[in-house]
Amino acid sequence: MHHLVRCTGLRAAGSLNASRRSAEFSTASIARSQKESILDIEKLLSRPTWSVSSLLPPKDSASDAPEVTSKQLHHLLRLSALPPPKDQQEEAKMLSTLSSQLHFVKEIQKVDTAGIEPLRSLRDETMQGEKEAELGMEAMKDALAQEEVRGKHHKRIRRRRDHTAAKQEEDWDVLGTAQRKVGRYFVVEGGKDK
Amino acid sequence: MSSKIRRCAPATLSLFANTSARTPRACIVSQWLRSRGLTTVESTPSQTVPLRKHLKDEAKRKKAEAKGSNINIKAKTNPHSDEWELTVGVEIHAELNTACKLFSAAPATAADINGLPNTRVALFDAAMPGTQPQFQRATLLPALRAAIALGCDVQRKSGWDRKHYSHWDQPNGYQITQYYEPFAKNGNIVLRAEDGVQKTDLSGAQSISIGIKQIQMEQDTAKTTHHAPSSYHVDLNRAGHPLIEIITLPQIHSPQTAAAVVRKIQTLLKSVDACATGMELGGLRADVNVSVRQRGSSGNYSYGGVSGLGQRTEIKNLSSFAAIENAIMAERDRQIGVLEAGGVIEGETRGWTLGASETTRLRGKEGEVDYRYMPDADLPPLVIGCDLVDHLRTTLPELPDATILRVQQDYGLSAKDAKTIAALDDGERLEFMEETVELVLDKADDDQVDKTKVGKLVGNWVLHELGGLLATSNIAWADVTVSETELADIIANLQLKQITSRTAKHLLATLHELPPNEGRPSVEQLIDNGNLRLRPLSEEGYSALAGAIIAENPEMAKAVKEKGHKGKVMWFVGQMVRRGDEGTVEPEKAREVVERLLGS
Repeated sequence: MHHLVRCTGLRAAGSLNASRRSAEFSTASIARSQKESILDIEKLLSRPTWSVSSLLPPKDSASDAPEVTSKQLHHLLRLSALPPPKDQQEEAKMLSTLSSQLHFVKEIQKVDTAGIEPLRSLRDETMQGEKEAELGMEAMKDALAQEEVRGKHHKRIRRRRDHTAAKQEEDWDVLGTAQRKVGRYFVVEGGKDK
Repeated sequence: MSSKIRRCAPATLSLFANTSARTPRACIVSQWLRSRGLTTVESTPSQTVPLRKHLKDEAKRKKAEAKGSNINIKAKTNPHSDEWELTVGVEIHAELNTACKLFSAAPATAADINGLPNTRVALFDAAMPGTQPQFQRATLLPALRAAIALGCDVQRKSGWDRKHYSHWDQPNGYQITQYYEPFAKNGNIVLRAEDGVQKTDLSGAQSISIGIKQIQMEQDTAKTTHHAPSSYHVDLNRAGHPLIEIITLPQIHSPQTAAAVVRKIQTLLKSVDACATGMELGGLRADVNVSVRQRGSSGNYSYGGVSGLGQRTEIKNLSSFAAIENAIMAERDRQIGVLEAGGVIEGETRGWTLGASETTRLRGKEGEVDYRYMPDADLPPLVIGCDLVDHLRTTLPELPDATILRVQQDYGLSAKDAKTIAALDDGERLEFMEETVELVLDKADDDQVDKTKVGKLVGNWVLHELGGLLATSNIAWADVTVSETELADIIANLQLKQITSRTAKHLLATLHELPPNEGRPSVEQLIDNGNLRLRPLSEEGYSALAGAIIAENPEMAKAVKEKGHKGKVMWFVGQMVRRGDEGTVEPEKAREVVERLLGS
């Protein structure tokens, strides 16, 4: 997150441009900053400069997050397959937790992400990485070898049906964790409780 | 008499709670019961009807009723077509022909239909905690071939997304699909009148092209079977099996065309080995989106770049071609009915059951599911190399349209025969025919032999003669013992007029019954041993034989001579063939002689 990166430790690096990626951190800039001032590391690390509580609603005043109605709460719980609240007290607690979570999210949403693609997971996104992940003729060699051409006049490509199929996937007790079963089937009760 | 029985008052009918539409029967026994005051039936006609007749009449009446309602559904002429325009988009889910599942190495189910339940399940398929999906790259081949066959642009990079919903057939709680970035886009499929397209849709052109918006790969769900009253048995063998979803653009304008599109796509996918099981076996399912608008007007909705459409409803899980046609017709009529009555169509999801007359509502807008699509963080993007796509494109098997055209042109078969033979036995029948033609042409010394003539003859034999034998002996093509060489020998002899057509058929039947490889005699041996070689009768021989038969049947002869019953000439020919020695009488020559003798 752009905002956070700017806040944490790198400010101490002084002249370092906050928008530059840490991968480009060069020894030259460390040397430069060391010349500027002798850092008191102990002092620097003794007091946090930022806390996540800045993103939560202040305890005394009400948050400016939108109200979540009881109906919306029940809808969300049903979507997530979570149990509904037992009583009014639990529901009120859920609503207030949800409210501060929404406030948190709104604070996060204040970050300017124009032109930035959402991160899906940490992967090798270099050209080399993409080349390694590419499924071309080389990568598909084995799969292509599993096919044959049938016919002399009317040529057709057909996958070879090998009945010596992979056995390793079948050596565990699939039904072992089933609460209810009939023969080799899992049993699910589909009727409505009420 | 029996009509009186049918028109019973409704009150009496309701007394028979468990006999549906059955009507009370007046008979000796019931009259006796009535006279003793022992029935609850109010009044019955005084006539008595024998039980068997009554049952027969009831069966006939039920059949007529069923036919009546069927006609309403199958109305080939759409009464609304002048005023209302129908628009249909189809989404096809087809099971890919792969060795293992999409994200686990568990063997795919398609290979064995009789496998035990819950045996082909990997830990990931059963959503065991801590398991991760592993893309099985071999599943890419059939998917790519399907995309190429449908003329799509294959995307170099595509993604995997999660579609969340809770159901017992989805152990993970989400289905992995390609919502944001499918692997193939912008294809099309061309249909002609022979494919079953409604004539009005062609509007004068030779063919129409239906656009394919995209094709995406996704997981199949587990199989559940309902056990009354409310329990379900779940089999995870199918969970995680690779599917492709093919989404067409809303450019279809009649139910027949929609069914034709699905049929054509199924044939296409089978021909490139992308999908081996069809709709009949449950390997292909279709959802359709139906909307109507007044002809000439423009609605407010659009999809895939096609705008001006009316509000659509989706009909899910149609599992046969007839169901597709009937469901679309029923939904079109329902929507028109609602709009004509001044109502508004809601964007709903509807279902169709076999034999129904209207679609049923499954989910309204309020019950609309929020799938919360998000990219799956466990899976890297799918990167497809263009060398692979090019290789698959150049080695793509001949597509069905090209095969049918080639068979028509090279072998002289009719369009219908070409289509039939190409579709039989996974292409093996056609292969057999082509090999036989080559062998026959080899045997013919004359280079001037017309390939199409030979082709037509061989085609007929492979389709109808061999096909007929297959049907009567009820065996599969794979078990046929007749070889291409044997059939080629028979046909070559036939062409060289060494044997008659009747003898040839007889030889084929003989060879068909012999077990394979057990000292099978060659065709030449059979002909020699059975003394079947055509020893053509001399001119006098024909005349003598014809004369004898004519003399024995003066009435028949008179019918031909005087009354001009030309058909009876063939009867004489038949008699001659039967009378003469096997393999001596040729029907065409015999006919000439008979016609000459009878002066016609």
